[in-house]
Amino acid sequence: MSRTRNDDIAVIGWSVSPMERHTAKSETQMLLEVVSGAVDDAGITRADVDFTCAGSCDYVAGVPFSFVQNTDAIGAWPPKSDSHVEMDGAWALYESWVRLLLGDMDIALAMGSGRSSTSDPAILYPMEMDPFYLAPLGADHANLSAMQARTLIDSGMLTERQMAEIAVRTRRDAKSNPLAQVSGDFDVEELLAADYVNAPLRLHDMPPITDGACAVVIARADKARELCENPVWITGFAHYTELHNPGMRDLRSSTAATLAAKAAGVDEAPIEVAELQASFTHEEPLLVEAMGLGPEVSVNPSGGPLAANPIMATGLVRVVEAARQIRVHGRHRTLAHSSSGPCLQQNLVCIMEGD
Amino acid sequence: MRTSHERGIAEVTITVESTIKFPYKRSLGPVIGPFMTALAEQRFIAIRSGSRVICPPLEWDPETAAELPRDFVDVGPAGTVCTWSWVSRPTEQHPLDRPFAFALIKLDGADTALTHVVDVESIDQMSTGMRVAPRWRAERLGHITDVEAFVPGEEAITVNGGVPGEPVTMMSYDASITYKIPVSDNTIKAHEATAQGRLVGLKCPVCERIYARDRGFCPIDTVELTDDHEVELPQRGVVTSYTIITPVQYPGQTETEPFSRVMVLIDEIDVVMMYQPLVDVPVEDVRIGMRVAVVWASEAEKADAGRPGNLVGWMPTGEPDNTDPSLANRIM
Amino acid sequence: MSTRPVAIVGIGQTNHKSKRWDVSLGGLVREAAFRALEDAEMEWSDIDAVVLGKAPDLFEGIMKPELYLSDALGATGKPMFRVHTAGSVGGTTGIVASHLVAAGRHKRVLAVGYQKQSEGNAQFALGSGQGASMGAGGAFAPYMRGYIHRSGAPEDIGPMVAVKDRQNALKNPYAHLKIENISIEQVKASPMMWDPIRYLESCPSSDGACAVVLTDEEGGKAAAAAGRTPAWVLATAVRSEPFQFPGRDPVRPAGAVDCATDVYRQAGITNPREQLDCAELYVPFSWYEPMWLEAHLIAEEGQGWKMVEAGDTALTGSFPVNMSGGVLSSNPIGASGLLRFAEAALQVRGMAGEHQVEEANVAVAQAYGAAAQYYAMWVVANSLDPFGS
Repeated sequence: MSRTRNDDIAVIGWSVSPMERHTAKSETQMLLEVVSGAVDDAGITRADVDFTCAGSCDYVAGVPFSFVQNTDAIGAWPPKSDSHVEMDGAWALYESWVRLLLGDMDIALAMGSGRSSTSDPAILYPMEMDPFYLAPLGADHANLSAMQARTLIDSGMLTERQMAEIAVRTRRDAKSNPLAQVSGDFDVEELLAADYVNAPLRLHDMPPITDGACAVVIARADKARELCENPVWITGFAHYTELHNPGMRDLRSSTAATLAAKAAGVDEAPIEVAELQASFTHEEPLLVEAMGLGPEVSVNPSGGPLAANPIMATGLVRVVEAARQIRVHGRHRTLAHSSSGPCLQQNLVCIMEGD
Repeated sequence: MRTSHERGIAEVTITVESTIKFPYKRSLGPVIGPFMTALAEQRFIAIRSGSRVICPPLEWDPETAAELPRDFVDVGPAGTVCTWSWVSRPTEQHPLDRPFAFALIKLDGADTALTHVVDVESIDQMSTGMRVAPRWRAERLGHITDVEAFVPGEEAITVNGGVPGEPVTMMSYDASITYKIPVSDNTIKAHEATAQGRLVGLKCPVCERIYARDRGFCPIDTVELTDDHEVELPQRGVVTSYTIITPVQYPGQTETEPFSRVMVLIDEIDVVMMYQPLVDVPVEDVRIGMRVAVVWASEAEKADAGRPGNLVGWMPTGEPDNTDPSLANRIM
Repeated sequence: MSTRPVAIVGIGQTNHKSKRWDVSLGGLVREAAFRALEDAEMEWSDIDAVVLGKAPDLFEGIMKPELYLSDALGATGKPMFRVHTAGSVGGTTGIVASHLVAAGRHKRVLAVGYQKQSEGNAQFALGSGQGASMGAGGAFAPYMRGYIHRSGAPEDIGPMVAVKDRQNALKNPYAHLKIENISIEQVKASPMMWDPIRYLESCPSSDGACAVVLTDEEGGKAAAAAGRTPAWVLATAVRSEPFQFPGRDPVRPAGAVDCATDVYRQAGITNPREQLDCAELYVPFSWYEPMWLEAHLIAEEGQGWKMVEAGDTALTGSFPVNMSGGVLSSNPIGASGLLRFAEAALQVRGMAGEHQVEEANVAVAQAYGAAAQYYAMWVVANSLDPFGS
């Protein structure tokens, strides 16, 4: 298949930082490296980039306006058309993609970065919840996700053993991912013998704490063809949200994930690989079902967020891993997913294809 | 702030610990307010949206955003656990200091679930579908934690007293998050230099612009700056702009009297040090063109751990002012 | 080109105050959104996507509040997008929303900006909880002193702007500060906060929100046919630059000049002073009015203060600026940029009431943020071809 429409936009380069439990580097430093890496990979310089958009979070950084110093990494001199989202870098990619759709710019660069290691997630993440009814109870993602996991178990949709099997599979797959933080061969029985952290979740059901950053370069078709032998075309891109309070939702599914996958065109042709921001083991089958992915789809061959979870970049890394499946592993059509909020409140799907 | 040594994967990193702590005040509005007021009275109320009963109540229908008429209805006090999770190690933010369960509880008469905690001795006592009722706190403020916890059974555990006389309209939220942020090598070197009475910067190897010792990057050329790029800076300069700040009182404010902050263009070398303190200069004497030199801390002052490094500020040299009109172009 | 025309057909804002303790956070943003929907003659179900802008989450102590506010803003089952570009965020919010329509992603988008400053303390948050925080005023004061020094502007220019904007605010029912009979003497007698900026030359700290409904060409033409003039977005531009490097000029920042050059070029404007009928500029401290008139190419360098002195920027002057009363009269930070963008649209729609500029056909709005390093601008007009090209 050959593309001629200039409205098509392709991923032409990327870079992912090392995934570390603690980094000594600042967010700016991590971004400086991945931006350099991504533009090198695309065969361009920072000056060739028409638009930049970063995704990061002040509360993860522990400073207001934390993204301002990250401007040092992008090469904003002469001044650059640039934006910032207080969301995962996957949404920064979405804004970049929309910006290129307007047609007056050719190349954009999206970033995501965060150092989760600097604070305790159990203290930090209640701040993300309903400020009247949830935050004052200290309910964090793990507390609420664990209740979603139990809903699936109680509904007969999943067992703790199946959850452990997902952990074993992703950790095994992660062995071939040089960026994985958690990988190796594990035994289901041994994992199930461990104590609960947040029952029904055990440590293996939960993501690691990761510092990291990621950058992705996209270009409009003519420029992508000029710069790149094997551009990875973005053929569908959408995101949706649900109401906030998990107590008011049907936790057995994710309508936002269903809507996003449909809008991105999941049904239009077979998906070979899906890189999902399933941060807890039980989220993987839930998302697979919600998006209508069949058993033939390879899910999170990189190990996914259970192998490395650089908050604010985790979703953008999924885009890279899904794109890598096309560019490096010769797949034809892959899907990347990102999520935000308690119990998968907000979901984004990006579908990509090779030539 | 204090520094500590945290063992990383590959190296020992020096971190600085800082806590963001602030008492937020939230206004509750016409629906959360009555709900909180009811809590203080040991009651639960919900709001109707068509045929549905929503608890905890919202001003809007969460599906359609339609504004809901203030049609409140009493629900509970007992309810059914829809799902739950077990917290083995509570944090300081949790309502209970011993292991407990989070649960989504559908109060009798409501169609949606309230999130709260269940106080039982062990996880074995928890099950989906179990019946629970609130144990009310003795001192109630109109806050979600006026329910101390839910407990198994049908009967609410009520107590006398502690009811606010007025409808509850506000709530407080005390956030306190502690961060351990790695200190960059450049920041450490900047402190070491000032401790030695040296003023140093970093020179970009590409454009030769000079940056503060702790900056780390040239944003023009996007190159990392390291020890190799260190340059000594003259310890004299000229004020190019300034402000005099009348301190506003806020939690954590340490200043009480007006203080100045000046921009100093360093002699012979193209770098401006921004927002520098002046030492022993009455605020009315501060002016553009004033010649200044660095003041280092005395041995006694060095003992003051609160001061970043040992650069106390800048003091007039007594030289005639620099009258070059282009000075005002060098704010940075 | 893939760009489709974008029309603004609904504008709403809250009554801004230092403490909106009569409403919850959700109630605050909904107050603005309801007014915008009513203006657009739309229901929540007509909206396809929501873009939310606000400045630091630390100000209210709610992390990623777009999650909590998703259902309050009718985004259940829809896209919800959150931007944060410091003080310019409200402008960026409007621009991102316009791009979603221009790119054909959605037909009707709701843009919302807010801040509920009374729930926390901005100066505390700006200083990350440490002492001796200079606040925004302390950070910007040396830039303004630089402008005064370079331009040779008389001392009264700042107070004149402060008086003019507060007089305009008296005509704006939504404005926070209402200072009857304000005078230059009164401004000059107010306490010096961040020399050269006095108390009455500074913005207040406000609770407030702003909402704008943007739609496609069909929606804009339908509104026009129904007698509700839309504002057409002729052009948008954003720029960012590093916060500091030796020689960076924060008085006439390159990013500000580039942003203006870009937005005028796209809009077909070659002489901004003549072709624009009015401007809403982000002026949180009085001296920023002449500074931005120059940096955004409305006045020649060194001449901006003369426009102020001559009364050109008054509501009845030859080039009205900040007809709404501006940031100096209402400053819910995350909404402040969108309020500027909305006021420009209100003017060209002829719906600004008592603070309406006569024959306002084309207007520019601007917002800026951080160390005067983030810029967002749009040019709006009451027709798609105001210059008859």
